Parts: sequence; C-alpha cells; structure tokens
Amino acid sequence: MTTHAITITVNGRKREATVPARMLLSDCLRHTLGLPGTHVGCEHGVCGACTVMMDGRTVRSCLTFAVQADGSELTTIEGLANQSQLHPIQEAFWEEHGLQCGFCTPGMLMAAKELLSANPNPSDDEIREAISGNLCRCTGYTQIINAVRSAAAKLRAAVPTLAT
Amino acid sequence: MKPAAFAYERPSSIAAALDLLALDDIETRILAGGQSLVAMMNLRFARPARLIDINRLPDLDYIRREGDELAIGALARHADIKSSALVAQCCPLMHIAYEWVAHGTVRNRGTLCGNLCHADPASEMPAVALAVGATMVLRSKSGERRVAASDFFQGLYSTATRSDEMLVEVRVPVAPAGQKAGFAEVSMRKGDFAWALAAVLLTVSNGRIAQAVIACAGIDDRARRLHSVEQAITGQAADAATFKHAGSLARDAVNPHDDATTPAEYRKDLVCSLVEKAFVDAV
Amino acid sequence: MSSHLETNVLPPSRQRELPGQTRKWVGHSMKRVEDRRFLLGKGQYIDDHAVPNMAHAATVRSPHAHARIISIDTSKAKALPGVIGVYTGTDLATVVDPCPSFASPPVTQRAIAIDKVRHVGEVVVAIVAVDRYIAEDAADLVEVEYEVLPANVDIEATLEATGDSVIHPADREGNKAHDESFKFGPVDEDFARADHIVRRRLRWKRSGAQPIETCGCISDYSVVDGGYTIHCNTNFSNFIPFVIAGSLRISPTVLRMQPIATGGSFGSKVFIHKIVILTSGLSRLAGQPVKYIEDRLEHFTNSDSHGSDRLYDAELALAKDGTMLSLRFDVIDDYGAYLQFGVGTHGNAMSQVTGPYRIGSFGMRVRAALTNKCQQGPYRGFGAEVTNWVLERLVDAAAEELGMDTVGLRLQNMIQPDQFPYMIPTGNIYDSGNFQEVYKQADELIGLAAWRKKAADLRAQGRCVGVGVATCQERSVYSPTEWWSLNNLAAPGFALSSTPEGISLRIDPVGKIFATLHSVFIGNSPETIVTQVLAEQFTVDPSDIVVSYSDTHSGFNGVGPQGSRFTAMITGACVSASYKIQTKLKRLAGHLLEAAEGDLELRDGAVTVKGTDRKISIGDVAMQASFFRLNFPDTPDFDSGLETTAVYDHPISTLPHPERKHLGVFYPMVGHICHIAVVEVDPQTGKVAILDYAAVHDNGTIMNPMTLEGQVLGGTANGIGSTLTEEFIYDDQGQFVNANFGEFAMSSAWEMPANLKIGHVETPSPYTEYGVKGGGEGGRLGAPSALSSAIDDALQRYGVKVEQIPVRPSTLRAMIRASGK
Repeated sequence: MTTHAITITVNGRKREATVPARMLLSDCLRHTLGLPGTHVGCEHGVCGACTVMMDGRTVRSCLTFAVQADGSELTTIEGLANQSQLHPIQEAFWEEHGLQCGFCTPGMLMAAKELLSANPNPSDDEIREAISGNLCRCTGYTQIINAVRSAAAKLRAAVPTLAT
Repeated sequence: MKPAAFAYERPSSIAAALDLLALDDIETRILAGGQSLVAMMNLRFARPARLIDINRLPDLDYIRREGDELAIGALARHADIKSSALVAQCCPLMHIAYEWVAHGTVRNRGTLCGNLCHADPASEMPAVALAVGATMVLRSKSGERRVAASDFFQGLYSTATRSDEMLVEVRVPVAPAGQKAGFAEVSMRKGDFAWALAAVLLTVSNGRIAQAVIACAGIDDRARRLHSVEQAITGQAADAATFKHAGSLARDAVNPHDDATTPAEYRKDLVCSLVEKAFVDAV
Repeated sequence: MSSHLETNVLPPSRQRELPGQTRKWVGHSMKRVEDRRFLLGKGQYIDDHAVPNMAHAATVRSPHAHARIISIDTSKAKALPGVIGVYTGTDLATVVDPCPSFASPPVTQRAIAIDKVRHVGEVVVAIVAVDRYIAEDAADLVEVEYEVLPANVDIEATLEATGDSVIHPADREGNKAHDESFKFGPVDEDFARADHIVRRRLRWKRSGAQPIETCGCISDYSVVDGGYTIHCNTNFSNFIPFVIAGSLRISPTVLRMQPIATGGSFGSKVFIHKIVILTSGLSRLAGQPVKYIEDRLEHFTNSDSHGSDRLYDAELALAKDGTMLSLRFDVIDDYGAYLQFGVGTHGNAMSQVTGPYRIGSFGMRVRAALTNKCQQGPYRGFGAEVTNWVLERLVDAAAEELGMDTVGLRLQNMIQPDQFPYMIPTGNIYDSGNFQEVYKQADELIGLAAWRKKAADLRAQGRCVGVGVATCQERSVYSPTEWWSLNNLAAPGFALSSTPEGISLRIDPVGKIFATLHSVFIGNSPETIVTQVLAEQFTVDPSDIVVSYSDTHSGFNGVGPQGSRFTAMITGACVSASYKIQTKLKRLAGHLLEAAEGDLELRDGAVTVKGTDRKISIGDVAMQASFFRLNFPDTPDFDSGLETTAVYDHPISTLPHPERKHLGVFYPMVGHICHIAVVEVDPQTGKVAILDYAAVHDNGTIMNPMTLEGQVLGGTANGIGSTLTEEFIYDDQGQFVNANFGEFAMSSAWEMPANLKIGHVETPSPYTEYGVKGGGEGGRLGAPSALSSAIDDALQRYGVKVEQIPVRPSTLRAMIRASGK
C-alpha cells in the first residue's frame, strides 16, 4: 500500500505523518495525530461534527483526505484555548449552556469562529446560517445561538490584540 | 464508512493532470472540492482507482469578465462565487441561486465546475447553467473543446466530459441589461438537495414577455429546460395570470418518477408552484 | 374512584427535603461542571479511547430484508493482508450466547445472524483487521449466497403471514408476537351510555433518536481470568451487568465494564448489548482487543433503537355536554424483526394514557407485529409520546364534532388542582399539578385570542394559518413494572419491581467531597445536579465537590438516565447519603465541641452550634475522622471514616394487580405541558412554517433552570422534527431507503422557531426530594399534538386532518390535493 509523507501545521505545531492516500483527515487528526477533539458523526458530510479550520476556512474533515492537508495550517478544537484558559467562544458556550452531550460542539465552535472572524456583529439569522450545516440533537439550537451571540459581544469588547 | 483504496496523484500543472487523464487505464476521477465525490467514496458508491487532486494547480481559481462572458475557473469555490460582486452583477441568476446551495463549510471547498461535472439531478447550478446558456470548456491532452450546457448534462451523474478531459472553465454569458432572474426551490431543510427547483430568466418589453427561459431540476435524471412552456408564454402579458399559467404548463411538461420517499405527483405540484414563484420573484 | 382501583393503595410520602424553600444552590442556574472537558476537546468518548494491540471490526450486513443464508465464502476476505479474522454467526456462537431478550416469551436474536437474516442491515459476517479501512475492504470480499424470502413490511399484512413469511418460526407461529387486551374500569358500560363517540384511525410512523454519536464498543478478552474489559457508551452496566455476563458465558466477577462519556442517547443507548456481545466475541476469537464503532449507516439500519411504529383504531366516549367518559383503542405496533424490550413502550404509555382529563375508564388491545425491519428500542417518550398525540387528536375531533371550542373542551375535563394525587384508570397516579395554570401561562405567552383572530383574518385572505393547543402529560421516574405488566399473565417474564439509583459518597481528610455515580453521562447534567445538591446539603462551595463514575467492579444499583428519572433519583440518593454523613459529622463534631448533636447545624462548610459562632470546619472534622481515632470514645459509632453509600428506591410505586385490573402506581411524578403552535402551511408545497410557538412546562421544582430549559428546547426541537420531517422509510421490499443524514431530515438551526417562548410552572412533587420531577422528554411529548392541531386549523378549508405522523410536505400536499379543493 502506497503511503504519503505529509506535514501539517496543527494548532501552531508542525506535525509529520505518513498516511495512505485514502485516510480521511478526520481519522488522521483523531488517531494518527492524537487529537480526538474533532468528532465523527456521519462520514458523509452532513452533520458537521468533524468541522475544522484549514487555511482559515472551515472544512469537513470527513470529506477531506489527510494528504490534501499537506502543507496546510489547521485549527482544531484543541487549538482554541490558550493553555487552560478558555477562548471567549468556549466561555460563552459554557455560560449559555450551549452544549449538553458535547459531541457536536467541536463543529459548532469552529463554525462560530469562522463567522465571528468575518462578521463581529452577526444577526441571529446570520448565526443560524453559520451553524445551519451543523446538526445538534440535544440543544434545539437556541442556547447555541445565544452562546454565539454572547461570544460575539465578548470578542467585540476584548482588547484588540486578542487573537480571534 | 471508509473509502476504498486509490492511487493519489497531485500534479503541479494542468498539462501533467491531462497526461494522467490521457492514460485512460483505470477509473480516474478528479478531486476538486470533494464535497460530493468524497461522500460517495466513503459510502463506497464511488470507487475510483485513481484520484487526481487538482487543488494545487495554479491559475484555475478565478472569476473574471472577458468581454460579454464571465469566465469561472475550475477551482473557483462556491463561497467565492456566492460572495462575488462581479457574479452578482453579471449573472444575477447564479447569485440568487447560490442562496440555496449547501452550507458555508461545504461552499468553502466545493467548486462550481466540480458541481457541474457531478451532475446531481437535484442540484442548483446545472439548472442555472442550462438557463443562462453556459458553455463548458473541456481540455484534454489533445486540445480543447467547448460544450454548451444544453449538451453537457446527459443523465444521472453523467456529462459529456470524456474520460481524458477535465472541465477547466465554465463561461457564462453576461446577462443582458433589463433581463430579470428568478429562482425558487423546495427542499426539506435549507441547504438540502432540492425536491424541485426552478430557475427562470425573463425579458419584458412593453409589458409583454419578449423572452422567457425556464430550467428545472429535481424532476428528472438531469436539469431540463422547459422549452414548450417558454414558447407558450412568449408574447403573453408579463403578469400574475401568465406566471400562474406557466406554472400549470410546467407541471405537465415534466416527467418525474416516483421514488420511495417522494411521489412524482408531488414533484409536479412543486414545479407548478416554483415556476410561478420564480417568475413572480423575478419581477 | 372506580372500584377496580380499590386495591391500589397509595403508600405514604417519604419526602425529606421539602420544596419551596429558598436555597443557595438548588434551584439556581449553576454553570455546568461537565463542560470544560467537552469544550477543550477532551471528552473521551468511546472512539477517543484506544487500548494497546487493539484491532478494528467492520461488518458485512444483509442486503435483503428477509432471506435464508445459504452459504458464506470468507476465503478471499481472510486472505487480504491486514485481516486478522473473518467470523460468521456460527463462529461467534462458539464463544457467546444470543442477545438477552426482555420479551416474554423471548425472541431469539444474535449479534451475528445464523441461518436467516431478518432485516436489511443485520450483521452476517464480522471482520477483524488492523484498521477499519482494511476491515471494510475485507467486508467487500465476503461472498454470501442468500435465498430471498418474502419481505414483511406492512403493519397489518404481516399479522397474516404464514410459511416462509414467518420471521421467527422457532419462537412464534406467525408474525404476531404479542396480543393482550385490558380493561381498566367499566369501559363497555361507559361507551354504552355515551351520547357521542369519536372514532379515528391514527398512524404514528417510525423514526429514531439518531444522536450525533453512534454506538461503539472496545472489548478486551483476558486470558488471565477469561473475562472481558469493556468500554461501551451504554447505560445499564451497573444495573444488569450479570445479563451481559450471561450472554458472554462468564461470571459477573470477571466482567469489567468501564464508564465512558456518551454523545447523546435519547433512549438509543439505554442498553447496548448486541455490539457488546459482538465485540467481545470477536475479541475472544481474534485473541486481541477489538474496537467496533457503528458508522452512521450501521446506526440507522442495525442499532436496535427505532421508535414506535403504530396503527391505532381509537375511540373517545363523551356525554353530549362534552364530558369525557371513556377511552379505548386497538393498537398494532410494528416492532421490527426482534422484540428485545417486549412491549414496554405500551406499558409506559399506560402511565398517562387518559391525559390530563377526568376520563373514568380505559381499555385497549395491544398487538406486537414483527416485520423485516430493524427492531424498536427506547426513544424519547418511550411510547407515551404516541398516546399523547392519539388522545389529543381525539379531543380535537370531539370538539369539532360536538361544536365546542378545543380549549374549552379541554379545560372542562381537566383534573382540578385540588384533586391530586389523582389516580387514573390504569392505576398510575399524577402526583401533583395545576394544569389550568400551565395553560393560562401558555395562553398569555403567545396571546392565544389575538392569534386566533389574526389566523382567521389571514384565512379569510386565503392564507393557511392556524393555531393549535395541546395539553399533555409528561411522566417521569418510572418503576420497571411497565416493562412487563402487559405481558401475558401466564408468562410475565422477569417481573422486576425496582429501579434504584445508588451513590457512593466520602469526605477526604481535608474536607473535599467525592461522589461516585453508578451510571453514565449521556448529555444530561448529572455532575452539575449532584454538585448542586451536595453543595446545598453540606453548605460548601461547589469547587470542593468532585463527581466521578464507577465501573462494574465497584458500581451498584445504577439504572441511570432514561425515562426522565435521573435527576429525581440521584437527588434522592444524594440526600440519603448526605444525611448519613451529616449524622456522623455532627456526632464527631459534637464530641469535639462538647455540644449536643441536636444543637448543631451545618453552616458555611462548618458544623456550628446553633445561634453561636462555635464551630469546626468539615475539613477539620474529616481530618480527625481520618487520623485521630483515639481522640474519640471507644464505641463503634466513632469509628474512622466519613464515607457511605446510599441506594435510593423509587419513592412511590406499587405492584400491578395480579389479574391486571390495574397496573399499580409506576410513573407517578407527572409533569404537564401546554404547547401552543401557530403555523402557516403552503398548500402548494405542503411545507409548514412555524409563525409562533409557546411551550410551558411544569416539571415540579426546578433544580437548575438553565439545564431544564435546555431539555425543554431540545425536546421541542425533537418533537418538531418528529412531526414535520423525520421518518425512517422502508420500501415495499424492506429496503431502508433514507438511512443517511441527508435524507433523514433532523432539525437544523433553521427548523427551530426563532421566537419560541418558554414558560415554567412549578407544582412540586410531594414524593421526591425538593419536589423535583423529570423534564427530559416533555418537548417531544407535546409538540406533535400542538402542531397537528395547528395544521388542522390552518387547512380547514381543505378539510385536511392530520391523522398520521410525520406529515412530511409531500404527505400534506397529497392530502390537500386529494381534498379536491
């Protein structure tokens, strides 16, 4: 079986791996690189639990081969917090009860991050649109929308040097 | 649901990609956005023996105006086309229809050209391409040819693309001044594949329909122009009654099949409603 | 009260912590203790785990709904590099037994089918390989020859099956697996004297929970002791581990199931035994640990957790003034190919089948039909969501037929606030309530009168806008008699009568409080609730408390989260355990402070002499209790340690009558829901837009408003999906045609109304600690009725009535078209 040597920068760290072409990025992150925070819910690109940031944009890691991420910069849920200090988006989810079982949460956080990087003051409908590709079975979405709204306010109020 | 094994090629030039396609030895697919292909591969509905990853090819990610056409390159992502002011200006139909295409994350990776080649019968852009009369630019090692949208979509997941060809660009005529565009779709959830959709273009002169274009998807194994309905309403008053009539004509002009989840009768009802709505929204 | 209930004597309340008091932690929206690990991506769900030398399993699944297995050729699969083993049902049966069945008599089910496959997706061969990719490659290479048999897919036709159509010829003569009838009270007489009888045929079609995480298991067979170490995202491991052990042919002493976070259950993970048995057998055969994670397709087709799939012929008997007299129905339930949980979902429905109304008698015939589909399992509501809807549909129909207002008819028949505890004809009680107050709040929240007028105006303009009101019960905290009380009297099965919840509690030498739960986290908030209760009990800061979960070695009596029971039960266990430790704290402190125990109280984390500042911190007492035994008298009640366990039983339940004249008290903590929906239906497309929605829930004392609201919202979203979009569609060949997330349409963020209005009423339970009732299922128990009612109202000019769930757009459109208008 042919394998490919790849280098991916994940959460700021350069990581090397040798993978078969068909290994999904989701599996590479979770099992090869030891970052199981990104979840697999469907493997056909609908639920969004596998969402990560690749070169600044969210992608479904279950629809991406690890080899495609060679040379790219990835951010996963493990890369949001600053050591043990929660990112404002994570804080907002905690305060607004934006998670129950936590399984869809990695994807929701990434979708929120992408939205708020581009749109610091989104309307509720813009929040809905941003998370519309992420399924949640626990919350009914209302408290997630509350969390993203609250996160937006936190980020707007934060010092300019705080990286989003 | 893991994909079957394949040989992975990542050529660094279009020429190299075309060389690979010219081998024509084993089942080969082009990997652009992958949003449709990889899902099918994970389900093992698609098992290409070779994937050619074109995502690093230079000079394919563009949207530009060339005379009276918009040229959209193979690697132009849905997200960029959706937010493009140039597209909004030059092809309002495509701009409106993009509201209905998938979700943000899928649009980040998915490409228009990839979507057109995938030719899902319920997808929005093939209907748009048909309606605006887009031209597909297919390139192979032996040269380049252009295929009109009306010849391009040949059936379920089937296009005119030969096994040694790659869709490098789609050319979209710039909409003439005064032409109106309308798009309507019904799906279960926003972003889902359509049960039916209608893409219409309308030119009105002195209150009468000078030209009408109607393309529907979700109703057959491919997107379809409803020429008979277009002809029937040309010359009629551009008013609510005509649009309603167009809807009921459209209903009889399509031939969907029953499937286990959605009866054919329902799709016909939708077409009736959607064609009318698309025209109403256009004006 | 009808005489048939005379023997159903209600025991006294055992409530210790009274409701209605101002508290520091209980009743407040404490932010969740559980969240950090999930927010940081360290949730440690099943697929996040690995053990050394772990192999991976994939399955070959039946493409046929019903077939004999003629031959299986595994040779090519075995030869594939990376494959460790390829196993048929016969192979597996050398090391494990069939799955447990709670049906009586049982229906045989195996983790890998032998001789016959009975639904699409059933496992025929399992592969163990070095990774899942290769295992799936090997699955492609297995060749199975089938002799296709007739597929039973129709709920009524299957009952007539004979010959080759019979699905379990060894266990049942035909495909009817259960047929029992019951009368609770004078049903026949009440129907005979009725002035008006409403009759409807109502169909509730199958769907399922489909949490974002599927089921998964890692099992590791040990040559050391012949046992298994198992990680599985299942519940019940500390309730009936011996049942798993039995299927694995081992003593419970060598079964080691480990607690693990679960990514959502909604019933589907209440008792995952099939893949535990599968994975364990594979581990033993392969000689190394095996991990098997269901992919989404497997979870759709083979998860044993499809929801109710029922056909009702239902009747409501009324007097001409609208007084409801009696309810009866004949129900057939399409259980799929197996019957693991018996007809418990019908027993459950008996807890509140007459709704919030003073209906004096009830009768039913319940038949379980077997078909060639994946079998049913628990799904949020556990069957009571269906009878709520059936009754509310009958009530709406009665209002129309009698020319009465739908709300007026409901209020006229509602149980009054001074009638609690109220015993319904089946024998269950409603412990407390104020249904009128709940309705009133919902009415005010949404502005019912104004909306009704506006909807009428809009209808006059040609728009299909309607308003619907549903008033439904939300039972919580079950006694397990519901699982067997409808079984044939000659073979009731395992007639268990308790579902306790245990807890272990200790205080360490520096005063930190360690609680261990014996059931698992599934997305509820067990650690937060326990922290709140213990912080309240011990007057300490929540940061001094930590909660963990036990494995099957140290765990006990852990029934866990389902049936909206967990908060009430674990709170009860916390209170019991806390009282025991508080007693000892006061005894020790009393000696140290030279004060009488009766003069002591806990305040601000210290044992304090009432009315003074003389105190000793919990930590200091704990230090003494750990290291300074000789500071205390030499009697056993001063022995070292501040630790205890407690097992809390259901606070009020009774047995069914031996001849089933009633079913006893088995689900008595009953909340109430009023949902009011305003919808607009597009008559061309059949799509339903929710213009406004109010949901008022009474779940007794609210322990944590924020987390309860999460349950109400999530349950309502689930209920909206169940009504408008979600259906598992099997075609006439038994193919499950929409078994993917693209075509099984669960609500996304757009389907949840933006302006959902939530209200709460608190009528505490007289029986639970603090008066709490469960709230996990309510939304799904109420939304279908409210939406059905609103759609009827919206489509009145077509005469369309919602008589099946779901009403997907194509279904509604077909009904509108058929009306000819």
